[in-house]
Amino acid sequence: MSTRARGICLRVGSIVVMLIIWWAAAILMADVEVLPGPVLIAKTIWTNLWSLGPEGKSPYFHMGVTLGRTFIAFAAAMLAGIGIGLTMGLRKLFEHSLMALIPLLLTMPTILMVFLAVLWFGFNEVGSLVAVVGVVTPFVAVNMFEGAKAMDKSLIDMAKSFKADNRMLIRKVYVPQLLPYIFSAFRFGFGMTWKIVALAETFGIKFGIGYMFFFWFEQFIMEQVLAWIIMFVILMLALEHGVFARLESKAFAWRPSHSL
Amino acid sequence: MNIQTESVAAANTVVAVNNLTKKFNLPMNGGEFVVLDSISLNVNEGQFAAIVGPSGCGKSTLLNIIAGIETHESHEGGSVEVFHKSAEAGSTPRIGYVFQNARLLNWLTVEGNIQFALESQQFPRERWREQVTKYLEMVGLEGQEKNFPLNLSGGMQQRVAIARALAIEPDILLMDEPFSHLDEITARKMRFDLMEILMRAKPTILFVTHDLGEAVFLSDEIYMMSAKPARIFKEISVDVPRPRKPEDPVIFDLEKELVREFFSVLDAQD
Repeated sequence: MSTRARGICLRVGSIVVMLIIWWAAAILMADVEVLPGPVLIAKTIWTNLWSLGPEGKSPYFHMGVTLGRTFIAFAAAMLAGIGIGLTMGLRKLFEHSLMALIPLLLTMPTILMVFLAVLWFGFNEVGSLVAVVGVVTPFVAVNMFEGAKAMDKSLIDMAKSFKADNRMLIRKVYVPQLLPYIFSAFRFGFGMTWKIVALAETFGIKFGIGYMFFFWFEQFIMEQVLAWIIMFVILMLALEHGVFARLESKAFAWRPSHSL
Repeated sequence: MNIQTESVAAANTVVAVNNLTKKFNLPMNGGEFVVLDSISLNVNEGQFAAIVGPSGCGKSTLLNIIAGIETHESHEGGSVEVFHKSAEAGSTPRIGYVFQNARLLNWLTVEGNIQFALESQQFPRERWREQVTKYLEMVGLEGQEKNFPLNLSGGMQQRVAIARALAIEPDILLMDEPFSHLDEITARKMRFDLMEILMRAKPTILFVTHDLGEAVFLSDEIYMMSAKPARIFKEISVDVPRPRKPEDPVIFDLEKELVREFFSVLDAQD
């Protein structure tokens, strides 16, 4: 069996084991109100996908709302973080002043940041956007700062000796060296963003997957709460593995471990 | 013995270094450290000139100033000039640089790395393919165009770096201890191959090394440099036709003589 096939088997196997444990726990607990089993949840998801939920909104509508908020907020946080991180890496003045502030933002509990953001900016799109920018930007900035610091000066000298202009320096020397840092910030930052958006939605921003968690949680219908959580996780995993992982392996084809 | 003639740029001079002095400020005590002290040398078209000296004597700094990577202020003293020899358009001289490490862009293919230099030098795009093929073949890497550098051995990476520097058809090829990071067997093979390349491409080369044998084997002209003060204390011509053999008694004797010379200078300093 190839290592690749082995890896897939192990992954699928561990998910199956988790489902069995869940199923056994549900039977032992014997209380559908608290811990519904996997079969019931699967049925609930299936029904949800084909019907309109409360207030006449389909699950696709809620997914779309959450994804929209996630993408916009994530783009804003990435841009701000990359800009700030690179400026810090290249200008001493910003390095010292911002290095004092960033740890403050990084240590702030995420839930508190989300709470303050919606309190100050309202239970709306702006609130969730501010929450994401507040939490994700410092993280991206630190990553980019490290990327800028780790830049290989000898390659820049090489490029200069051949009289490469700024456009070529940026495209062929700077960006490729920053790309691993951008990707790691991207994957981690994206994971943070959708969690924050979902959290802000559970705090009361109208519509979206988080809004539905809370809607069903208030009515104490656990099978719907779990169904929505699993729909959410599957959606995000599909994005992560279907889109980002592919982009990444394409961008790093030059690394020997990737070239097969 | 101190040969420091005031060199005058002749018609076929490619690099003229005149009384070049370079200082670094010492941040600790506000003092100065003289990296290069009144260095003069001339490299003529088609010549292979080598600077030999101990580690840390400022050899790389000199190459970096010639390449324009390191700054040199006029108040520090002296001048560096590189002359453009090619009949083609473009007024600035072309400088090819081969470093101690290959310094390849690992995210570009072998071909992409050579094209990087060609594009930087604004070489006409329609000639890229021809240049890549020609110089990869010359360094013995034909067919490796689409490979990525990290799939190549250290010696092969350095060959790509040499092809990259030659492909721009430089007025001067600067080589900074290009074989010092390779194992001795690979380095020896590379020296032979460089000799072959010399006879085909006839570039003008300024080569820096701490290896006297390498310098004698490869060069037409050798400048011997001391550390502290960083001066050129002797200039020697090697009049042995190519292809040369390292076991050639003339070359061997010359190497022994240079070693003696170096030790007498070092001993005098102690």
